[in-house]
Amino acid sequence: MTIDTIIIYSLAILLLIVSLIKDKQKTKKALIKAKNTFVKLMPVLLPLFLFIGIILTLITPDFISRTMGEESGLFGYIIGLLLGSVTFMSPFVAYPLGSDLIEQGASVPIVAGFLVTLMSVGLVYFAMESKLFNKKVAIYRNLVSFIGAILVILVVLLVGV
Amino acid sequence: MKRMIKKQKFLMISIIMLIVMTIIDISMTYRALENTYDQIISMLLIVPPIFILIGLFDVWVPKETIVEHMGENSKTKGMILSFILGAFSAGPTLIAFPIAYMMLRKGAKYSNVLFFLMVWSSLKLPIILFQIAELGFRFAMIIDITLLVLFYISASIIHLFVSKTEIESFVLKAQEL
Repeated sequence: MTIDTIIIYSLAILLLIVSLIKDKQKTKKALIKAKNTFVKLMPVLLPLFLFIGIILTLITPDFISRTMGEESGLFGYIIGLLLGSVTFMSPFVAYPLGSDLIEQGASVPIVAGFLVTLMSVGLVYFAMESKLFNKKVAIYRNLVSFIGAILVILVVLLVGV
Repeated sequence: MKRMIKKQKFLMISIIMLIVMTIIDISMTYRALENTYDQIISMLLIVPPIFILIGLFDVWVPKETIVEHMGENSKTKGMILSFILGAFSAGPTLIAFPIAYMMLRKGAKYSNVLFFLMVWSSLKLPIILFQIAELGFRFAMIIDITLLVLFYISASIIHLFVSKTEIESFVLKAQEL
């Protein structure tokens, strides 16, 4: 159980109790709505997890540190940005991996670009976002985050870390 | 059948990848399925409270409140509120999408919802603390401040790229849920 999970569970349970005390009927309605959202979204979510499972098998942290540790120059930046964009990783794995990479001698701006794309650009997010909203806004958000990664690289190059 | 393939593009791609993996090395397929299982379990663990919160929000927060604070005329206040909602959150980005969806349904302006999604994906406070511990304060701040400025600007100018009617069409879809 991560701290995330504990916070969310405590919050949900607390608010559920408050809601129950205030109005039983409304609480029942809320739970029915929760169930409906769950039933509606699962068919969208579950196939994505198969994809995540495959990605995690192909692109392991070990693979990332081998690839990114060796590459530098313009090609290194491209590799970092692309790896970050296709991989799916929890921040609790990603940031330690980032600091490991730097310790192993990978270039800091390359790692910065990798981390930013890793957190906010992704095929998985894209799929979910284009299903719930539409393709155009999904492209927009992912593209903005990708540009964000390039900007972060430039700032790191400019001011140093 | 054709429609199903189109609708489940990701599933199809995944299945093709699995078949290729099986031909190359079957142990990879096992690992992929194991990873999928682990991911699904960890998601199922975090999903119930999120959906309960969405349900509670749905019945307790009247539409007018959201329209007033995050709707078409909310301006900077709406952005600040979106930032707070995104920053004081916890959980993977995938979970943010159903929440964003509900905000839209309740009448929040799309640029606010977009800003919320962006902040959630990269600037969640619990993650920032962890990020500072791992990468150091200066490095973390370079990343976070650059992103914050970019996210704010890009959410504010979304109307230049996506038309009102396009946004209205998926807001309508959200209302059906």
